[in-house]
Formats: sequence, structure tokens, C-alpha cells
Amino acid sequence: MQMENIQATLNKGPAVQAAKPTKMRSENVTVHYGAKQALNGINLDVPERQVTALIGPSGCGKSTYLRCLNRMNDTIDGCKVGGKITLDNEDIYDPSIDVVELRARVGMVFQKPNPFPKSIFENVAYGPKIHGLARNKNELDEIVHRSLERAGLLKEVKDRLDEPGTGLSGGQQQRLCIARAIAVSPEVILMDEPCSALDPIATATVEELIDELRENFTIVIVTHSMQQAARVSQVTAMFHLGDLAEVGPTEKMFSNPDDKRTQDYITGRFG
Amino acid sequence: MSDATVTGVPDASPARRDIGIKKRYAAERRFKAYGITAIAIGILFLIALLWSVFSKGYTAFWQTEIHVPITFSEQVLGTPQQAAESQTKLMMANYPQLAREGLVQLLGIDPDDKAAVSAASALISSGVRVQLRDIVLNDLSVIGQTQDVWLFGSSELDSALKGQYDLTVPENRRPISDLQLQYIDKLKSMGALEQRFNWGLFTFGASSRAETAGVGVAIIGSLYMMLIVLALALPIGVAASIYLEEFAPKNKFTDLIEVNINNLAAVPSIVFGLLGLAVFINWFGLPRSAALVGGLVLTLMTLPTIIIATRAALRAVPPSIRWAALGLGASKTQTVFQHVLPLAAPGILTGTIIGLAQALGETAPLLLIGMVAFVADYPASPMDPATALPVQIYMWANEAERAFVERTSGAIIILLGFLALMNLTAIFLRRRFERRW
Ligand SMILES: Nc1ncnc2c1ncn2[C@@H]1O[C@H](COP(=O)(O)OP(=O)(O)OP(=O)(O)O)[C@@H](O)[C@H]1O
Ligand SMILES: [Mg+2]
Repeated sequence: MQMENIQATLNKGPAVQAAKPTKMRSENVTVHYGAKQALNGINLDVPERQVTALIGPSGCGKSTYLRCLNRMNDTIDGCKVGGKITLDNEDIYDPSIDVVELRARVGMVFQKPNPFPKSIFENVAYGPKIHGLARNKNELDEIVHRSLERAGLLKEVKDRLDEPGTGLSGGQQQRLCIARAIAVSPEVILMDEPCSALDPIATATVEELIDELRENFTIVIVTHSMQQAARVSQVTAMFHLGDLAEVGPTEKMFSNPDDKRTQDYITGRFG
Repeated sequence: MSDATVTGVPDASPARRDIGIKKRYAAERRFKAYGITAIAIGILFLIALLWSVFSKGYTAFWQTEIHVPITFSEQVLGTPQQAAESQTKLMMANYPQLAREGLVQLLGIDPDDKAAVSAASALISSGVRVQLRDIVLNDLSVIGQTQDVWLFGSSELDSALKGQYDLTVPENRRPISDLQLQYIDKLKSMGALEQRFNWGLFTFGASSRAETAGVGVAIIGSLYMMLIVLALALPIGVAASIYLEEFAPKNKFTDLIEVNINNLAAVPSIVFGLLGLAVFINWFGLPRSAALVGGLVLTLMTLPTIIIATRAALRAVPPSIRWAALGLGASKTQTVFQHVLPLAAPGILTGTIIGLAQALGETAPLLLIGMVAFVADYPASPMDPATALPVQIYMWANEAERAFVERTSGAIIILLGFLALMNLTAIFLRRRFERRW
């Protein structure tokens, strides 16, 4: 991977990084799978309405960290999370916090598109339904259409909303999953390698979408593609063997990283 | 790029090593041959089984009947006025006499020739008592009139007509006499003898006379039991599986439960019968021979099957579906009931139907709780004495009479029919509900 290439693809958006307040703050987050430690004390601030990219070699704990942010790790047997994570200064692991509500505020898009084997409409409508976001059928219709529109999928599917979501192409399915996530109006969207199963064209569509979503949502994205991190993110965090190696503005991370491991990784020397 | 790879391959590639392609193909062919042989043997046995059952049993679905003009005489039955006042006389009346007189007249036998009359009347089933009584009780206006009735032939007549007797042996060594054979020929030439479809096989209860014995009571008993098993085992089994699979913490205790459930599935069914006898009958004081107790015992037996099938079906639902729902903020219960369970439904239904089919064919535990009983009347409720299809087969198999042999096979055909129906339902449900994801 050539440095110049990546710099050319850097997202030259308005340089506002410093001005954004912190949406989610992690303090000394540790994760154990049984006896095995997967994260060794992560301190990371996720800025509001920005795209934060998590990069790092395979197995370094990116997905593990991402799952801490909406407590999906709770569903994994033998997984223990330590430290403190706040969302708008509220501790999300506090016993008074309801996970269901937390996950409505912190949505997630997975690596492999996983639409429900139901109609496209029902896929998107499910979240608003269980959270009582729509008072009647019309409101629900509107939410579904708006979400599909924002996910850039409405044009392609508006005539077949009652066809199964599993019948769409891979890229469409992933955008359906994004529509499903934003239908709940979360504040934060977590994406774990959302484009790894997609072809370059579908990837480009999703990346554009992420860039647009940044206006309204805080986004944390795990990616293995340096170009993708450079294209869509404003902040990049480099993980290595369960540690946070370095975090900084994407531009700086790719042009002039402080950490040797970051430098090695983005120039393709390991990972 | 592609040029580089093409030219990059050295021209003088080393000689291919012999990695035994021929051997590999031979091994594959051999394996295929083993498989085909195994399947062929299986099919052969199946055909042999079906052939033996069907060739012996199909005749049970036909029953010889004699068309006899019956005079419902007032001497025997009393006047219609008397009958309207009290039915006791009607219930007790000598109906076989009516049948005998009708047949004697039809064959033109001298009524005073005792031997001839008794030989002729032996061709009629003693079941005519019930048959004629039902006609009269249904419609009192027949009294005093003459009506043509298809009377059940006796099992000897039936067997003789179906060619089940060796007629070459001396007369005194066979159940049917030469005189009776003459009568049969005469009736045949008059067109008064016919093999008609044997509805009675499906509707009658137990009887010591083969021609009036049927699996009606057994079918109702089996039906009650299947309903009880379905109503109890399905919800309990599915609830237990969902809890174990989706909610229970994984620890030593749940491991122990899992091992025990798997072991229960392998417990011989007769043990469940003993358990039912001890617990349901001796302890709870439920009636013996009742379909309720049978149903409870079969429920216990079917539970492990349903639990194992349900857990497998739940486990086969891709975890990504659970993540999708949980990630949207669905609670665990919502996730399970709105997403996982519908996807597992075909597997659960198939498992349940297979469990039910097993229960339907189960005999041993039912013997222990007294369902081997002579039950002639339909059980009105699951608390009444009843039998079950396989038990009825078992009981008929112990009868020596020729007519019961064909009925045994006939009942087996009926049982196989029900089993095939259930399996077809399972296949249909599977196709109907199966979804891609
Ligand atoms: N469910 C689990 N049970 C046990 N160990 C796990 C589990 N999930 C992850 N791990 C371990 O935790 C470590 C971090 O895994 P994680 O999935 O977070 O890596 P990752 O950075 O997302 O890797 P990749 O880029 O390949 O997705 C790995 O060593 C992995 O083996
Ligand atoms: Mg990962």
C-alpha cells in the first residue's frame, strides 16, 4: 500500500475535528473471553457526528471493542467487560441502564448483511415497531420510506417492499441493514466491516452513504481497507494486539503517524 | 499482469508425481457400490415387509355379505305400539331367528330339517343381532314389514369365499361342510352373495367374532392419545428447549440436564410403561386402560424426541439473525419469539410429528397400563377404557382364527396408512415453512 495513494484519497472535508464534542468515551476498557484477555485497557473518545475508523491487524480486538459500545458482548458467553464507557456522559454499563434502550441509541451494522427473512418493509419497520416509534400505519410507512431513502435504497425497492429482504443483492442487503439501523433513529451507528462482502461499486455506494449519514449520526466503522478508512473517516484509531496503538485525525494518521506500529501497518509491513 | 504469470511458469515443469488417481477413482466406485448395495438391501426388506402385509391383509377390507329378505315379524318383535312404550322387548328380541327364517326361506330349505337349518344359519354372523336391532331401533315402522338387508356372513363363509380353506381335506376336518358349500353356490347363483367394502373394520370395536371386530375403538383411543401427547409434549418440549437453548446459563447443571434428556430418549419404552403404572395409576389413582394414562405415558416418551429436535432446530438458526434483532434493541424474548422460533418452526414441527408417529406405533408401555382390554364400546372420553391401534394388532395377532389373521394384517395396513399420512404432513409442513436466509 503506497502512502501517496492513501493521501490522495483522504477525505478533505471541513477541518473541524477539534471542534466536535465527545459522544462516547472509553476509559481503560478491558475485555476477557474466559481467561483470555482480548482488550488491555482502551482509552478512546468517539467524537460526535464524525466517522471514526478502527483499523488494525486481524485479531487485534476491533470487533470486540465495537461490541462493547452497544453491549453486544453481553450476549457472548464468558465475555467480561471492565473499565468504563459513557454515552453522553452516562455510564452504559451502569445497572440502571436498560440494554434495550441503549441498543436503540447505539445501532449496529454487521459484516455480513443479515436481513430478516421477512419482507423489505418489515425489515425496516421492525425496529420502530418494537420501540413504539410510530403511532399508526401512516407514520410507520413514512419512517420506512425515509429510512430507505436515506440508505439510498428506496429507488431500487419502492415497488417491491413486500418482497423478501433476502432476495436482494448483497450490496442492497447491506444498505437494507443500514436502513433498518437508522429507522430506529439511533445516535451512534457501529459498523463492523460493512463492505467486506461487497463489490467495489456497492462499496462506493455504501461509503457515500456513510459520508452523508455523518451529518446526523456518530459513526464508528471497522475496516481492513486503508483507502476506505482514509476516504470516509475523520478520526482513525489503530488497534494492535488488544492495545490502542494510536488515535488521531485521519489525515495525520495516514501522513505522519507517531507510532511505529501504525506506520508499519498502513505501509503494509504487517497485518 | 497475466502475461507475467504465464511466462513466469517454468517451461520444463517437473514430471507429475503419480498420486494414485486410478486408486482414488476405484475407491470412489467401491464406496458408491457399497452404498447402492446397502440401499438395495433396505428396499428389498421393505418390499418384502409390505408384500407380506398387503398380500395377507388386503382381503380384510372386504367382507362377505348375504342379501336376505327379512320379515320383521310382530311375533318376534311385538307390535309397534308395544315397542314405542318400552324398548326392553326390542333390545332382547330374537333377531337371529329373523335372519335364520329369512335365509331358510331364500334357500328354500324345509324349516323342519334341523340339520339343514343349522348349517344354513351358521353362514350368517351372530353379529346380525346388533345389525338388525339397529335397523329396528332406527325406524320402528319396519316392524311387520319385509325388507332386503345385506347381512354379515360368518367368518367361516368369508374365509371359504376368500379361498382361505383347503377344501380337499375330509369334510369333518374343515370348518365348512359340503352342504354349506352347496348353499354358498346357490346363493352365488342367485346373486345374493357379495364381497362388500368392510366399513366395519374401521368402525367396530372389539368382538370375539372376526366379522364384527374392527379397529374403531382403537382408532379413537389412539386419537385421544395423540391429542394428549400433542397438547402436552409440544408446548412443554418447546418451552424446555427454548429455555435450555436460549436462556439457561451454560454450566455443569445445564450440562447434566442435557445429558439426561439425551439418555431419556434411549430409555426402553416399557420402562415408561412401568413408570406410568406406578405414578399415574397407583399413585394418582387414574383409571386403568384409559387413553388419558396412555397419553401421559406416551407424552413422557415423546418429550425427549421433541426436545432434541427442537434444540437442533433452534441451533440451526443462524446467529446473525439473533444479532440483527438484538442489535436493533429487541429484548431476548422478542428475539426468540419473533425471529428465532418462526425460523425453527419447520424443524420443530417435523420433530414433533416424528415423535407422534413413534408414539402412535408404541405398544409395550400400553400393555403395562392395561390398554390390552376387550373394549367393544366407543370411549366417550379419555377417561374411559380404550385400546390403541398397535395394541389391537397385538391382540388380533394372538387369535387363531383364520379371519383374524387377515384382520391383523388389515389393521397393520391401517396403522401404516396413518404413519405415512403423518410423515407426509411432516414433509409438507417442512416444504411449506422452509425459508431461505
Ligand atoms: N466469542 C469469542 N470467544 C473467544 N474469543 C474471542 C471471541 N471473539 C473474539 N475472540 C478473541 O478476541 C480477540 C480479538 O478478536 P476480534 O474479533 O475483536 O478481532 P478483530 O480485530 O475484529 O479481528 P478481525 O479483523 O479479523 O475481525 C481474538 O484473539 C479472538 O480470538
Ligand atoms: Mg472483526
